[in-house]
Amino acid sequence: MKDLTATVLRNVRIADNIYEMTLSLPEDIGPIRGGQFLSVSTGEADQLLRRPFGVLKSTGTEVCIGYQVKGAGTQALARLAPGKDLKVLLPLGNGFNLDGYSRIAVIGGGVGIFPLIATITQNHTEKDFYSYIGFRNAGAVCYTKELSKSRKLVISTDDGSYGLHCNAVQAFMADYASLDMDCIISCGPLPMLKALKASLKEAGCSVPCFVSMEERMGCGIGACLACVCKGADGSNLRVCKDGPVFNMEDLAL
Amino acid sequence: MANLSVNICGRKLKNPVIAASGTFGFGKEYDEIYDISFLGGISSKGLTLKPRLGNATPRIAEGRSVILNAVGLQNPGVEEFIREDLPFLKTKDICIIANVAGASYEDYENICARLDGIVDIIELNISCPNVKQGGMAFGVKPDMVQEVTRVSKGALSKTPLMVKLSPNVESIIVNSQAAAKGGADAISLVNTFTGMVIDAERRRPVLANNTGGVSGAGIKPIALRMVYEAAHSVQIPVVGMGGIMTGLDAIEFMMAGACAVQVGTANFADANAMPRIISEMNAWLDAHGVQDVNDIVDTLTLN
Repeated sequence: MKDLTATVLRNVRIADNIYEMTLSLPEDIGPIRGGQFLSVSTGEADQLLRRPFGVLKSTGTEVCIGYQVKGAGTQALARLAPGKDLKVLLPLGNGFNLDGYSRIAVIGGGVGIFPLIATITQNHTEKDFYSYIGFRNAGAVCYTKELSKSRKLVISTDDGSYGLHCNAVQAFMADYASLDMDCIISCGPLPMLKALKASLKEAGCSVPCFVSMEERMGCGIGACLACVCKGADGSNLRVCKDGPVFNMEDLAL
Repeated sequence: MANLSVNICGRKLKNPVIAASGTFGFGKEYDEIYDISFLGGISSKGLTLKPRLGNATPRIAEGRSVILNAVGLQNPGVEEFIREDLPFLKTKDICIIANVAGASYEDYENICARLDGIVDIIELNISCPNVKQGGMAFGVKPDMVQEVTRVSKGALSKTPLMVKLSPNVESIIVNSQAAAKGGADAISLVNTFTGMVIDAERRRPVLANNTGGVSGAGIKPIALRMVYEAAHSVQIPVVGMGGIMTGLDAIEFMMAGACAVQVGTANFADANAMPRIISEMNAWLDAHGVQDVNDIVDTLTLN
């Protein structure tokens, strides 16, 4: 974990409200696992909180994030031009650990796709991914090239304007019986994760499922206890430090 | 290089910069970024006798130049702190301040008795705005401030007592004096201001708790005024905080009468905020020919 001053190299629109920013780092920080994240200042002096984003791509001295413009912070980020310096803390969190798994189902939606894309990109030569990715509509569809590194890719949209007309969980469950997977990974909105949990339970699924959680964060390193989620045993788990990736059975979703 | 060491109730700190309670956990996480021995002190996450899970999420939100938090005193309880966290802090050359909260006078008495003699200073949290029971209830009315201080002080024979005051009160002067009358060895202020941020699209407060404590750069002028008023109404040491982001901010609090400062929200904006603030303070003192940081305390001349 390093606290560095990074420089914006590129900051471009990818799809409706979706941007990709590449930051140049002053030193080589080594590999960043898919599902790990960074927290970055917005460049606005009156925005005190850094924003957490899942890492999309990294080379050690360059790191790339995808983000959806939603509030004042991401609006500020979207306005940044190359050359701007930002404070960045990285890499944070645990990421998806796929050791011992080789056939992985991927269920993602919304901004949850970014850590999944990183995971597929890093592992597709050794592992088979069966990916079910949901977008709001055709205008939001992005990163199909990276997602296509999956052995199978099914894209769906909420309005049917691209791919299947359903959500990612429905698309996955339609194929569920025919998939010979040894692990499931997922990231996306909480309702999607809840639907996935319910569907897997109904199907009697015994395959481990790892989900990446999202929550508003303070420090990003586990000290302030702002970003907790409920564990299955009733305890609080820190999304930033204990996660953001958890075994679904350890969570009270 | 100016002398940065200060003294609070007989405890020597190598510099006047203390991590504020609730922003720094028990120091382990920030120690992965820099050696926390570099700091003057650390005030622990607010401790209660029994573990607490705290509030629902979202627990944190942002306004212009401020943040709001409503963590709700999530903590592992004093026994786990003593078992798991205190030994780590003891390996550090740092003033260990245990921030404690309770829901009754007995809670405060018992937790103080448990920590007496094993930490450097106890900071009484009577001003947490985010829990219904305990904390804030004791921090508003002067007679309750005095009584909770008296009861806590009665349980302590070895460790000095610092009372952390709420700014959400009628008179910070009267409450400072109430803490002093109750036997406080020092006071610290300000805790957070109760506030709200709204998500207009959803027509709901952003925080699950609806309201939260406002902190950060935006509260600094109010905090400075209150620290000035408090420092000039009691004889005991005052530790100042509220929106300190830079070394110059810290210098200003000391000019207003604080003998040391706490830094909280700045740690979120800049993980290295406190080491930076310490070095900025030193640079300011050097640039102004001040050889001892204590020489700037209470040096404000009013217009």
